[in-house]
Amino acid sequence: MIHRGKGIGCMWYPIGFTAAANPSAATIKVNEDGTATLLTGTVETGQGSLTVLAQIAAEELGVSTDDIHVVSADTDATPMDTGAIASRTTYVTGNAIKLAAEHAKQILFEVAAPMLGVQPNQLEAIDRKIQVQYFPQRSLPIADVALQAQFVMGRPPIGSASYNPPTVGMDPETGQGKPFSTYVYATQCAEVEVDDETGEVDVLYMSAAHDCGTAINPMLVEGQIEGGISMGLGFALQEEMLFNDLGQQLNPNLTNYIMPTSLDMPEIDVDIVENFDPTGPFGAKGVGEPTAVPTAAAICNAIFDAVGVRITSLPATAEKVLMAIKDKRLSNQRALPAAE
Amino acid sequence: MTDITLNVNGEVKTASVPPETTLLKMLREDLNFTGAKIGCDVGDCGACTVLVDGLAVNACLMLAAQANGKEVLTIEGLSTLDKYHPIQKAFEDVAALQCGFCGPGMIMATKALIDQEQELTRDQIKDALSGNLCRCTGYTKIIDGVIDAYEKITGRKVPARNPRAA
Repeated sequence: MIHRGKGIGCMWYPIGFTAAANPSAATIKVNEDGTATLLTGTVETGQGSLTVLAQIAAEELGVSTDDIHVVSADTDATPMDTGAIASRTTYVTGNAIKLAAEHAKQILFEVAAPMLGVQPNQLEAIDRKIQVQYFPQRSLPIADVALQAQFVMGRPPIGSASYNPPTVGMDPETGQGKPFSTYVYATQCAEVEVDDETGEVDVLYMSAAHDCGTAINPMLVEGQIEGGISMGLGFALQEEMLFNDLGQQLNPNLTNYIMPTSLDMPEIDVDIVENFDPTGPFGAKGVGEPTAVPTAAAICNAIFDAVGVRITSLPATAEKVLMAIKDKRLSNQRALPAAE
Repeated sequence: MTDITLNVNGEVKTASVPPETTLLKMLREDLNFTGAKIGCDVGDCGACTVLVDGLAVNACLMLAAQANGKEVLTIEGLSTLDKYHPIQKAFEDVAALQCGFCGPGMIMATKALIDQEQELTRDQIKDALSGNLCRCTGYTKIIDGVIDAYEKITGRKVPARNPRAA
């Protein structure tokens, strides 16, 4: 018989390293045609981080994302970066880039101020222009200001900055401290069908609500969450590395290390819970690893809701679930009074 | 050595390869079509999917000699320098790919599916792509991309997904 059940998994997750230095640095050069070149050490692995970082630089400089030329992950040319790890790129590298862009923008403001007859702190950068706040008609193209800065004022508009999340080391006696600069939170709900004759679990539907600070690029956030759910689903039901006594992996192929296919994936609803974080670039935090954290818990809770058994070691394979169902039936039988 | 003559992406190509050479190895190493990827090399992952006479095959499981005289279409045959194929455009529009390694295989499998010109549901699309593994995306946006491409190319509509999930 097929039983249906629902389960919830919640989590919090920290951004960056645990009370350890994990700096990022960036250099931004505003070119004389109004475009900008961004040097960052971070590496794009498909998650879209370079797009997000270019968006952060563009927002700060008041130009279009298309205007940002990103040079990344080459220590011949770029600053060293701690890495695309710990769900830290948008937050840590993004903060470094925002600071670097602020520095470059400050030079543009100081050059533009006498051209517009105002003080630098009365200016703003928006729509590829440097303009007087509240007086958009008094403006100069960023390209003109950059040209003036380079060839007339002799002050190339280049900004460099680094960012290391502020933390407080943990006291070894009390465990107290502030090991991370910021945290993200998420809840995922799973709806499953469990066959009590085979133990097979089919995940029908997942809903995922993630707080990632400001979602700088919601489409990429969705992609991260959907991908994380597929990894969490594999962790929950299918994926297991098996080793023999010599430490050799017994299932080193995709034939016997079973990862989710398109047929294993449930329908997914993604809910991005935006929550401005004052320490992040434009309020952003991160979303990478957290997406895979609550999935297995939600699925195992849904299995309990469906057939009343707790699976306490992953993956919850059909064999394991069926064994647990049989054990439960057996213990229920023992609870019956003995026939006279 | 075996002499092979086949049509790749509309051009006749010849190669002389050892008889045990797979179609994938010949495409990549002798003919320089590196779009089809070597993922597992044993037919599990689908990263090497190409079309042979219009059917999606794992190029790692087909001997080059078996493709002799046939028409092979690889990912390189879809786009031109200035224009994406509609499937590629759809994948780009919905951000279907992340690291992109499964991309050529996914797109070729999609082309084989759409070329069959039949009515499709979301479940049939999932079924058709089940031989192509992806570790990044959770397949969700890939399936959205296939639906987008299918609807634009054929003018048909894929029924909306489960109303509870909509």
